[in-house]
Amino acid sequence: MNKPDSKNSILVIGAGIAGIEASLNLAAYGIKVYLVDDTPSIGGIMARLDKTFPTNDCSICIEAPKMYEVQKNANIEVLTNCEVRRVDGAAGNFRVRLVQKGRFVDSAKCKGCGKCVEVCPVTVPDEMDAKIGGTRKLIYIPFPQSVPNSYAIDNRCRYGKSKNEGACVGGCIIDCIQCRECPIAKCVKACKEEGADAVMLWQKDNTIDIEVKSIIVASGLEVFEPPTGFYGYGHYKNVITHLQFERLMNAGGPTQGDIVRPSDKSHPRKIAWIQCVGREKSCGIPYCSKVCCMVAAKQNIITKEHDESVETFVFYNNMKAYGKGFHEFYRRAMELGAKYIKGKPSDVIENSRTGSLAVRYEDIETGEVNEIEVDLLVLSAGLVPNSRNKKLAKTLKVAMDETGFFKENGSFGGDPLETCVKGIYLCGGAIGPADISESVTQAIAASLKAVLIK
Amino acid sequence: MSIKTGVFVCDCGTNIAGTVNVPEVAEYARKLDSVVFVNEGKWICSVDYLSKIKQFITEHKLDRVVVACCTPRTHEPTFKSALKEAGLNPHLLEFVSIREQCSWVHKADIAVATQKAKDLVRMGVSKSILLEPAEGIRIPVGKECLIIGGGIAGMTASLAVAEQGFKVILVEKSANLGGILGKLDMVAPANVPAEKIIAAKMEQIERHPNIRCCTDTVVEQIRGYIGNYNVKLTQKGAAEDIKVSTIIVATGMREIEPSGLFGYGKYPGIITQLQLEERLKNKQLGPVKTVAMINCVNSKNDERGCCSVGCLISVKNAMAIKELDKDVRVYIINRDLSLLCAEPDYLKSAVAQYDIKLLRYSEDKPPDVFKSEQGGKVVKTYDILLGRDIEIAADLIVLTAAFQGDETAGRMKELLKVSANRDNFFQEAHIKLRPLDFSTDGIYLCGCARSPKRLKDTVEEALGAALRAGIPMKRGYIESEGIVADINLEICSECGLCHKNCPFGAIELAGKQPFVIKAICKGCGICAANCPKEAINIIHFTNEQILAQVEAALSERPQEQIIAFCCHWCAMGAVDIAGVSRLQYPANIRIIRVMCAGRISESFVNKAFQLGAAGVLVAGCEFPTCHYITGNYKCKEKMERLKKKLAGKNIEDKRLRTAWLSAADGPKFAKTVREMVKDLGL
Repeated sequence: MNKPDSKNSILVIGAGIAGIEASLNLAAYGIKVYLVDDTPSIGGIMARLDKTFPTNDCSICIEAPKMYEVQKNANIEVLTNCEVRRVDGAAGNFRVRLVQKGRFVDSAKCKGCGKCVEVCPVTVPDEMDAKIGGTRKLIYIPFPQSVPNSYAIDNRCRYGKSKNEGACVGGCIIDCIQCRECPIAKCVKACKEEGADAVMLWQKDNTIDIEVKSIIVASGLEVFEPPTGFYGYGHYKNVITHLQFERLMNAGGPTQGDIVRPSDKSHPRKIAWIQCVGREKSCGIPYCSKVCCMVAAKQNIITKEHDESVETFVFYNNMKAYGKGFHEFYRRAMELGAKYIKGKPSDVIENSRTGSLAVRYEDIETGEVNEIEVDLLVLSAGLVPNSRNKKLAKTLKVAMDETGFFKENGSFGGDPLETCVKGIYLCGGAIGPADISESVTQAIAASLKAVLIK
Repeated sequence: MSIKTGVFVCDCGTNIAGTVNVPEVAEYARKLDSVVFVNEGKWICSVDYLSKIKQFITEHKLDRVVVACCTPRTHEPTFKSALKEAGLNPHLLEFVSIREQCSWVHKADIAVATQKAKDLVRMGVSKSILLEPAEGIRIPVGKECLIIGGGIAGMTASLAVAEQGFKVILVEKSANLGGILGKLDMVAPANVPAEKIIAAKMEQIERHPNIRCCTDTVVEQIRGYIGNYNVKLTQKGAAEDIKVSTIIVATGMREIEPSGLFGYGKYPGIITQLQLEERLKNKQLGPVKTVAMINCVNSKNDERGCCSVGCLISVKNAMAIKELDKDVRVYIINRDLSLLCAEPDYLKSAVAQYDIKLLRYSEDKPPDVFKSEQGGKVVKTYDILLGRDIEIAADLIVLTAAFQGDETAGRMKELLKVSANRDNFFQEAHIKLRPLDFSTDGIYLCGCARSPKRLKDTVEEALGAALRAGIPMKRGYIESEGIVADINLEICSECGLCHKNCPFGAIELAGKQPFVIKAICKGCGICAANCPKEAINIIHFTNEQILAQVEAALSERPQEQIIAFCCHWCAMGAVDIAGVSRLQYPANIRIIRVMCAGRISESFVNKAFQLGAAGVLVAGCEFPTCHYITGNYKCKEKMERLKKKLAGKNIEDKRLRTAWLSAADGPKFAKTVREMVKDLGL
């Protein structure tokens, strides 16, 4: 590859749907794009969702083609497992140091055959699906449509960190660069036998220096993790978050789309959602996360589509059906029989014999105090800033707001998406709660600002 | 000239070779028509093997290449570039999936898997013989953009397009720029005067050498397509024809007059929020002691959704009233307050600082407005928190009315041949991933023309639309990949159905005669499948090619075979996931790939039954997802009609089945095949 012209290059940080859209638009504009993500695959949260509101499009069906486009595009250089370490310079000429962590599998050589997974002796809980029973091996593919579509090795495999769990190279302390000959590294051996020879346990971090004219921050957000014991979360197996429920619905999730409760894998007959989890004083989210009302409506609709006889309840306070087609979507959930109850439950008690949950609440509209027993309880937890924001803000020398999102410069709305540093722009979940459509719009708008830098 | 086909069969380590007898498949391929060269490779996608393929192409003068390996979804680009580098047109490649569709899913029996692999290769070769070279088709795109609507969206978009170095013609129907924002007093939640925002933009627009601003101007006519739009404008009666390459629609929205609701038009002193803005701007509230605002007027009901901005407007205006006169009592009678992100804090401080009263009603018990015996207006409302009726003697009642698309939107819809919803808000190409595009290339949309929204969101959309319009103008052309529709005018009966059916506006009529704007055509094939004369073909997925695959599949043991027509996106995605997940299903299925379920003609299905197929499976994207907008819907309708026709021919219902799959539906695909095989007694 020729050394790209820094005057025509842009760095995009974060490869969720916002970063992907920004990259595709910039590449189409003739810009050389560096798309970095600190996980082993591009795709972000959207790749893990089942459906998108308000149309119930299958999430991966509409995102995966974009991911392949990114991979195919000659103007986009995808750098996964990669962090931004240092940024110097100014708009028009930022000098950026990236550090790409070892994937320990050569994506160019890996054929995705999965022999390495078969032989890997250590099973660990999956990052996203652990609470609903999802597991993976230490060598794994993040999800079937991952880009790059090759395996990666968990850092826990190395330096004896998983020795006690039975990891085959548990004794290694340093990268001796002799793994290829190692008699006990099973994945290396299996891959060699398959003829691909793609596993490289000895891979080192790679430092990459690039020059770009502008930077787009699309680092996304996270789902709030309720504190242990909150509505029984963490203590009672059948209390889960909406993201975990989404994974249960998903044909690509650990249950292949079978909605079963974690305690006994039975099909729940009654499910309740509690909205605005995280807004409580003790949890400390000071803003409305705006998507959770529609997420709950979607999950009610899909639940009813799976099995219309399942009874569903939604405890809510203010219905935020604000976007195009949202109110109609919420009404659809009600038409299908979802019962919306205005009020916030005060307490949840588990029936230790059945694993079901007694939910006590006051119905604000009737003033009555009531109790219902459900088989599965879903906490519609808010959206919170990405835990890596602080580090990234420091590296980029841009400001964060008091809640931990990146701060937009200027407040009247005339110049959105700008930071206090000229040439660095924001989009999507980096700024605050946003749905997919808003993230995409902001990504394209931020791209416009980024291309205008001379 | 005879065709020389080269077949490359991959072992994929043991992934294929472990289940399929690859040498036997290679030997079989040698005997097939047109095949002059066959080679087996351990990994045919490896860099060194790819250079071998190039070498073989040159050495053996191959003019068709069939690869039998993994899946086109991941590896087609790899092999296409190899062909290109060997000087062969990349469209002369045919991909046969003997890993995902065979070795991974029929592990139990080597003989069965090997037989199926042979059949798949035979089908591939038979199609490859009929392949034609195709070229990317380009049309030039100039550097002029028409922006319709001079509100904040149009103004922002104009500046953003002009800054990229393109020429802008900004057309506004009224005498002034500013749109609905120009009617507002302050903008929430930052409390900046709207006038200030507009003035700043206006100054920039006047100064900008790339922007020509036409107020008092109406768009009369739009003809053409991206890169080639002819537009007729009239400015105070004077007509002008202009040529532009792209168009941004920023026509905004208007308040729906709440005639007959809550006493509006019946009693004096009942106004809308926009009318209140006028008073606030002039700092003239009038002799008012008590104001009652009623939210969700004409919205959140059976006809219409949430107006998106009314709650914020009501809080902002309540504060503004208090700023003018702190002794005025203000009530906001609302259904759920739809305030987002940090806006609940804005409400909280408004309530605390200005003592604004909030009352909450529900849809089934709306407030009632009537005259009291003393002659004053009274709002009676049931507050759900207090659980009782409250009466407010209000001298000003403000209705937070719903919105609909601008009055020009209906006509604009016709001029641009685009869709809009019941309220004349325009329909974007995809609500999630293409919010700023129309499905027709070259036309983009932003702001309240799409749906009501806040200033920040409007500005972001305008900036985004400016980049979307900028992309083809920057590149100077648009290009299709060569999979496009081709109309045989000798057969065409000029019925115009193709023009109507095309979801992308790619088929225009010259008089009654249709012609394809090939650079815009996406190759879905909806036109072809629905052409009553079968006068349309899709390059690379022609009728002849698909029928050749059907024939090849059914040339041996047809009574055991199920022909499956699968769309490239979700159905093939599901097939591949079934493969990756090693889901085992019966080997009776023979898959034929099309780009969209909308491509599947009745004649394909009929042919399969004629040749004795046990069954036919038609699989496309699950609803509502279709990568070509309407393809799966069209296909579903067609197959339902076809089922009725087949019943007349004594073909049992169970022999034709449809499946609507998501790209993650590997298990559902496998289950469908298992069920079908069982139902058909295979």
